Amino acid sequence: MQPALARQLLAPPLQIPPRVVAISMPMLAAPAVMTAQPLTLDGITHSYGGGLAVDNVTLEVKGGELVALLGPSGCGKTTLLRIVAGFIQQGNGKVTIDGRPIDTLPPNRREIGIVFQNYALFPHMTVAENIAYGLAARGESREVQAQRVAEMLATVQMGSFADRKPRQLSGGQQQRVALARALAMRPRILLLDEPFAALDKNLRLDMQIEIKRLQRQFALTAIMVTHDQDEAMAIADRIAVMSQGRIEQLGTPVQVYDEPATLFVNNFIGSSNLLNGKVEAAVDGGYRVALANGAVWTVFSKARFEPGQPVVVSVRPEQMLLADEPAPDRIPVTLKLSLPIGGELIHDVISQSADSLKVAIARRPGMASGGTGTAYCGLAGHARPALFPASNP
Amino acid sequence: MQRSTLGDVTYNWVIGCLAGLAILILVGPVLIVIATSFTTSQTLRFPPPELSLRWYGELFDPVRSAQIHIAALNSVWVAGLATLIGAVLSVLAALAITRVTRPSARFIEASFLSPLILPTLSYGLAALMFFSVLGIRPSLNLLIAGHLVVIAPFIFRTTLASLTQLDPVLLEASANLGASRIYGFRRITLPLIAPGIAAGCFLAFISSMDNVPVSLFLSNARTSMLPIRMWGMMESTLDVRIAAIAGVLILATLLLMIVMDRLTGLTKRMSG
Repeated sequence: MQPALARQLLAPPLQIPPRVVAISMPMLAAPAVMTAQPLTLDGITHSYGGGLAVDNVTLEVKGGELVALLGPSGCGKTTLLRIVAGFIQQGNGKVTIDGRPIDTLPPNRREIGIVFQNYALFPHMTVAENIAYGLAARGESREVQAQRVAEMLATVQMGSFADRKPRQLSGGQQQRVALARALAMRPRILLLDEPFAALDKNLRLDMQIEIKRLQRQFALTAIMVTHDQDEAMAIADRIAVMSQGRIEQLGTPVQVYDEPATLFVNNFIGSSNLLNGKVEAAVDGGYRVALANGAVWTVFSKARFEPGQPVVVSVRPEQMLLADEPAPDRIPVTLKLSLPIGGELIHDVISQSADSLKVAIARRPGMASGGTGTAYCGLAGHARPALFPASNP
Repeated sequence: MQRSTLGDVTYNWVIGCLAGLAILILVGPVLIVIATSFTTSQTLRFPPPELSLRWYGELFDPVRSAQIHIAALNSVWVAGLATLIGAVLSVLAALAITRVTRPSARFIEASFLSPLILPTLSYGLAALMFFSVLGIRPSLNLLIAGHLVVIAPFIFRTTLASLTQLDPVLLEASANLGASRIYGFRRITLPLIAPGIAAGCFLAFISSMDNVPVSLFLSNARTSMLPIRMWGMMESTLDVRIAAIAGVLILATLLLMIVMDRLTGLTKRMSG
């Protein structure tokens, strides 16, 4: 069986009958038996020249978990990724995989797979040669290489592209090859550097599903770096929102969106309306806040605020409503603009104190605008506004 | 189709004339020397009265043209070895230079390239004096050393150019996949910069082949070089074989160029 299979796989991969691909699929179950290994960053600090790029970051990625490092450019997320990969030696701190420190290992001995931002496929090699590169470097036999290449091509559904050069492939196909090349080495950890940045919008969702599927199938502990919150929300188990070299908040996508820990996280993730106000009094589980524009809201918060303290209240556009009748918790507003964006209708309204607010409501078919004139803007029943001290930048 | 104004017509006419003139100046001499090499006459007169292969026969006669053959072989040997050694040294130098970002690296780069600007005649004289002070007698090896200094910058420059175009992420990917530096160099760096090295070697070989100033100072009667020998023949006998040598050199260069284009074109296609 073995030589026959090898012979079949050694044949030009274009001629691999679909049957062989089907046979090789169950073999994929093998890596899933491996237990996923946790990755720990412990007090990582790194500076370039004068500036502190990564400032005492501690992060524990559980085995099989996908954590997204999310933040604007320059927040230190890429530096952190390169430290894990071994391309940068950190100034301080420890990186461990499954309890074993890897800081002294050079990049080529860390057994960490990377999907680079622009895939970094070797332009002068075919798809098959790209995928086999790591195995060839390790001195594996041609049979092992060919078998693994066929298996990987089947895994990423690129079986008929083995003899193509990277430039003959579309962006999505190149990414599949980059994934196959990384996974062919059976890495313990997978690092994804802005994996969807170069893809068309339509293709992104497909590749997000694909990466999530492969990450589960190969039981990989993964870190993804991105500046795109939608990507992070889509595939990460947890998101670490970073700013100025620090992790501002670490939590599930829902936690980060619904309960932002800081104003930075609040503003970076999703869109929100920020309203200035003052704490009037503490109530059960939260505070009564008098907004500058006249309305009085009750806002739940676990943080401590003093009565009289100036605060910022943040509400997501989809947690607001527009009504015809006034109420103490509603702000009189004038409608300026309505934009039907997909399934939502976004109203841009302006209050008497000249605050501009965005209100998103589910759009019924045929509904194109919310009319004009005066309305009263308040909180929807399910709304969970967030409360931050006003001094917080 | 736009109507052309008088200005356009004048412009096209002037540019056309200039281009024609340039072609005449550049290609004319080559055509004349090739035509002359096929003459039947005893002298280097143009136009030739009749065409024949007489002087080529003369040139390839192993007895009568023995001195020319020795000079030609010397030239090819010196150019070949100088190019080979130059390629190894230049690639190593270029690899080191691209990896360093310190300002001192730019200075070293400039000094490696300086033989391109240095008057070769001065260098030839300086080399002769330097080697006589050291007590080294003229030899082919000395010529190789002399040529090496002048031609290596060609290879260094083209290699450096292709190295700066090499995406450093590819080498990170190579390391990430478990490859050692040497393995990555062999399978990633070298294939991707090969066209640059080849182009530099081509330029270097050609420039060594027709280098006069260095050979003039460093060769003697026993180590005669082709350009020097040609000049000697020109001065003494006005031998038509000179035209035949020129014809052979032009043909050889043309062939080498086609081969080079095929090779680098091929590598370009392979490297995408």
